[in-house]
Amino acid sequence: MYQTMMNLPLVRRANWLRTFLNAAWLGWQIESNWADPFLFAVYSIARPIASVLILVVMYSVITNGATDQPIFAYIYLGNALYILVGQVVSGVSWTVISDREQYRTVRQLYTTPLDGYFYLMGRGVARLLVGIISLVITVGFGVLAFQLPISLQTVDWLLFTVTMVLGIISLAALGHVMGSITMMTARQIGSVGDAVAGALYLFSGAIFPLDLLPSVLRPIGLIFPATYWLELARRALLGPGYVGFETFAGFSNSHLLLILLVATLLLLVASIYTYRWAFNRARETGFFDMETNF
Amino acid sequence: MMQLQPVERQTGWRLFWNTIWARAYPRLIGTFRERSWFFFEALLPVLSTVSYIYVYQAINAPEDYIGFVVIGGSMAAFWLNVLWSMGSQLYWDKDDGNLQLFVLSPAPLMAILLGMAIGGVIMTLSRALVIFVVCSLLFQVEYQTGSLWLLVIVFVVTMAALYGMGMMFSSVFLAAGREVWHFANLLQEPIYLVSGFMFPVKALGFWVASAASLIPLTLGLDAMRQLLFTSDPTIGFLPVGVEILILCVLAVFFIAGAAWMLAKLEEIGRRDGRLIERRR
Amino acid sequence: MTTSSAIEVQQLRRVYKLRGPKRKDAPRELVALESVDLEVKRGELFGLLGPNGAGKTTIIKILATLLLPTSGIARVEGLDVTQHVQAVRERISMVSGGETSGFGLLTIEENLWMFARFYGLDNATARQRIDALLKIVGIYERRTAKISDLSTGLRQKMNFIRGFISDPRVVFLDEPTLGLDVTAAREVRGFVKQWMSDHPERALLLTSHYMSEIDELCDRVAIVDTGKVLACDTPAALKKRLQREAVFQLKVSPIGPRPNREAMIEAVPGVRQVTVTEQDGYSELNLILEAEDALGGVLSHLNGRGSGLIALEKREPTLEDVFISIVGRRLDQDTTQREENGA
Repeated sequence: MYQTMMNLPLVRRANWLRTFLNAAWLGWQIESNWADPFLFAVYSIARPIASVLILVVMYSVITNGATDQPIFAYIYLGNALYILVGQVVSGVSWTVISDREQYRTVRQLYTTPLDGYFYLMGRGVARLLVGIISLVITVGFGVLAFQLPISLQTVDWLLFTVTMVLGIISLAALGHVMGSITMMTARQIGSVGDAVAGALYLFSGAIFPLDLLPSVLRPIGLIFPATYWLELARRALLGPGYVGFETFAGFSNSHLLLILLVATLLLLVASIYTYRWAFNRARETGFFDMETNF
Repeated sequence: MMQLQPVERQTGWRLFWNTIWARAYPRLIGTFRERSWFFFEALLPVLSTVSYIYVYQAINAPEDYIGFVVIGGSMAAFWLNVLWSMGSQLYWDKDDGNLQLFVLSPAPLMAILLGMAIGGVIMTLSRALVIFVVCSLLFQVEYQTGSLWLLVIVFVVTMAALYGMGMMFSSVFLAAGREVWHFANLLQEPIYLVSGFMFPVKALGFWVASAASLIPLTLGLDAMRQLLFTSDPTIGFLPVGVEILILCVLAVFFIAGAAWMLAKLEEIGRRDGRLIERRR
Repeated sequence: MTTSSAIEVQQLRRVYKLRGPKRKDAPRELVALESVDLEVKRGELFGLLGPNGAGKTTIIKILATLLLPTSGIARVEGLDVTQHVQAVRERISMVSGGETSGFGLLTIEENLWMFARFYGLDNATARQRIDALLKIVGIYERRTAKISDLSTGLRQKMNFIRGFISDPRVVFLDEPTLGLDVTAAREVRGFVKQWMSDHPERALLLTSHYMSEIDELCDRVAIVDTGKVLACDTPAALKKRLQREAVFQLKVSPIGPRPNREAMIEAVPGVRQVTVTEQDGYSELNLILEAEDALGGVLSHLNGRGSGLIALEKREPTLEDVFISIVGRRLDQDTTQREENGA
C-alpha cells in the first residue's frame, strides 16, 4: 500500500485558477442534472415562466391585455433579467448552506489549501449558465407570446455585452458578500442571498420604475450596480424603441456604464474583504460545523 | 447507580396527543431561539410584497388590488412553510437520523407529522402577521370586518387543508430522496401563479382556477379576499360558502391521504431498508 | 418459544435488492443474513461480534422493527417483530454509535424530553428520569447546552440516555462506544453493566468492534460473519476451545509485504492459524499452533526468509484469537463490500 502511494505523482498545490476550475467542474456535476428533461423543465422553463406570468396576469387584469405599452416591456424584461440575480446572488449562499448542511463537506473543503473565494465563484458558474438559459427562454417566450419589441437587428449588441459582463461580475461580488454572511447564520427557510435578491427586486426597480419609490428609499437602489445594469440591459435590448422613465431620463448610456463600472469595482473589493472577515469569524465561532434543524 | 423507578407509559390517544406537542415544541421554541427568522421570513417577504404593490401602482390599478397583494403576500408565508418545512422535513429528519428513531418509537408517525404541522402553522402565523400588518400600515389598506367569524372559519379550514397537503408532501418528498429540492422548486412560483397569490384567481378563467383549487390556498385566498374587500363583489371565483365546503373536503382528503401514504411509506421503508434509515 | 427468551431468532434471512447506478440497471441481490439462529435470555447481555458487513446491524434493524426479514422468525419478548410492531416498539430502544439525531436548536434536556414523550412518558416522569439519568451519566451540568454545540462524546452520552429513558425491556446497542475517547467509553460500559445488574429481567443486545468491550461486558457472544452465526457461547467457553492449542505472539524483523506470507506460514506443519501485522520496524505474528513443538518449524521458516526473531511470548487465548481461529482472519479485515451494500 505504502509503496503504491510512493509511485503517485507529486501533488500540485492549489492556486486560484485551479480552485476556480475545479469548483466550476464540481458545480457543474451538481447542477448538471438539469440536463434531465424534467429538471430542465422545472428550473429553466416552469419557474421563470411562472414568475413572469404572474406579472403578465397582474398587468392584463388591469389593462385588459394592452401589452404594447412601454411599461409592459419594462416589467417583463426587468423580471426576466432578474433571473440572473436569483441564480447568482442566492446561488452562492445556497452553496455555503448545502456544503455545510446537506453534503457536509465544509470541514473537508476549508481544511484544504484551496482559495475559498474562488471556490465559491467557481461553484456559481454552473448556476449562472442555468440562469442564462432561463433568461433566453423567458425573453424568447415574451417575444413570441406577447410581441415584446425586441429584434436581433435593433439590439445594441456592444452595449448589451459590456453591460452583461459588468452586471454578472457585480452580481457575483454581491453573491460573495451574501455567501460570507451565510457562513455565520443558521439555515432558514431562505438564505441571506434569497433575502437580498428579494430586497433588490424592490430597490433596483426591476419590475416598476424607480420613480414610484418614495424619494427617501430611492437612494438605496442607486447604490447597487444591479439597478444600472437592469436599466442599461433594457436600453440595449429594446434599442431605439426604449422609452425611459423619470429617474434615469437624464443619464446617457455611457454615463450609466461608467457608474456601473465604478460600482462593480467597489463591490468587488468589498466582497473580498467581507469574505476574509467572515471566514475568520466562522472559524472563531465554529459556525463551519453548524447544522440547523427544528 | 441511582435506582431508576419503572415507568408507566401512556398509549392510545394520550400518546398521540403528547407526541403532537412534543414534535411541535422544537418549531415553537425555534421562533424564540433563532430570531433571524424575523429578518428572513417576515421583513424580506414584506419587500417582495411591496414590489408587487408598486407594479399595481405603476399601472394605476384600483386600490383594492393593493389589499389583494397584501393578503397574497402574507399567505405566501404558509405556502413556503408547507413546501420547505413540511414537505422536505422528513427528508431532513432521515438525513439527521431522527426518522428511524421516530419510527422505532411507539409514537404514531401521524402524530409526529401533525406536530410538525401545528408547530409550523403557529410559527408561520407570526411571520404572516408581520407581513400583513406592516404592508397594511405602509399602504393604508382598508378592510371590511363584517364577517370576522366567517373569516376565521375560512382561515382555519384553509390551514387544515393546506397542512394536510403538506403532511402528504412529506411522504412523497421523502420517497423522492434528494430530488426533493426539485419538487419543492417546481411548486413554488408556478403555484404562486395558478393560485392567484397576487391577483384574483378568477382572472385565470374557470378551468385553470378549478384545477388550481386543488391547492387549498387558491380557494382560501379567494374567500378571504371576498370577505375583506367590498368594492367589487364580482372578483370572487365561487361563493364563499361553496369554497368553505370544498376546503373541508380537501382537508379530509389530504389528512386521510397523508395517513395512508405514511403507512405505505413505512411499509416500503421496512421492506427495502432504505427509505427510513440514514444513508450516505 | 419459552417465556424466558427476550429475543429469539430462527432461520433469519435477509436479502437486499441493490440497484445499479443507472435506473435501467437490473437490481442484484445481496444476502446480508444467510440463516441466523439466536436466543437471548432475559437478564442476559448478549454480544454480536463480527467485522463490518457481517450482518450484525441487519439483525438489530430487523429486531428493532426497522427492517423486514426476507424469511425466518424474529421475536422480541415473545412478540413477532413483523406482526406485533407496535407492541415490540413499546418494549425496545436502540442506540447507535455516531448518531447525530435530535434537533440542533434544542438543549440536551429538551431533546430528551421530546423523545420521552414519544415513548409515552408523562411530563413529570419524563423530567424526573431525564434529571436522574443526566446525573448518572455525569452530564447534568451541561443539560442546557444546545445539541448543535455538543462534542461527539457528549452527544453520544445524550443518545445513551435517550436509549434508557423509556425504561425499555430490551435494548439494542449498535457500536455504542464508536468514536468515544477511552474515559467516555469506560463510563458507558460502566453504565451498561450497572443497568443490567439493576434490571436482571431485561436484556441487552450489543454489537461492537472492540473485542475487549464484548469480553468485558457480555454474558454470551455470537460470532457473526458473512451473514452466518459461526459460534455462540460465553466468552470464557469460546476461549477455552483454544486452550488445547498453543497461542504465541512473535516479533520478528520485517517480513515485508510479500504476497501469501500468511498462507506460507500456515503451510508449516502444526500451524493452525496466523495473522501478520507490520509494525514500526518489525512484523508481529499471532500464531495458533496445534502444539508447542510446531514453533520450531515456524522459526526456521522465518529464518529461511531472512527474518530473525526479536521477541517471543506465549499467552492465554483472547476473543481475538477465537475470532481468528473461527473466521480465518482478523476482525479489522472487514468485508467492506458487504457493508457498503447495507449489510
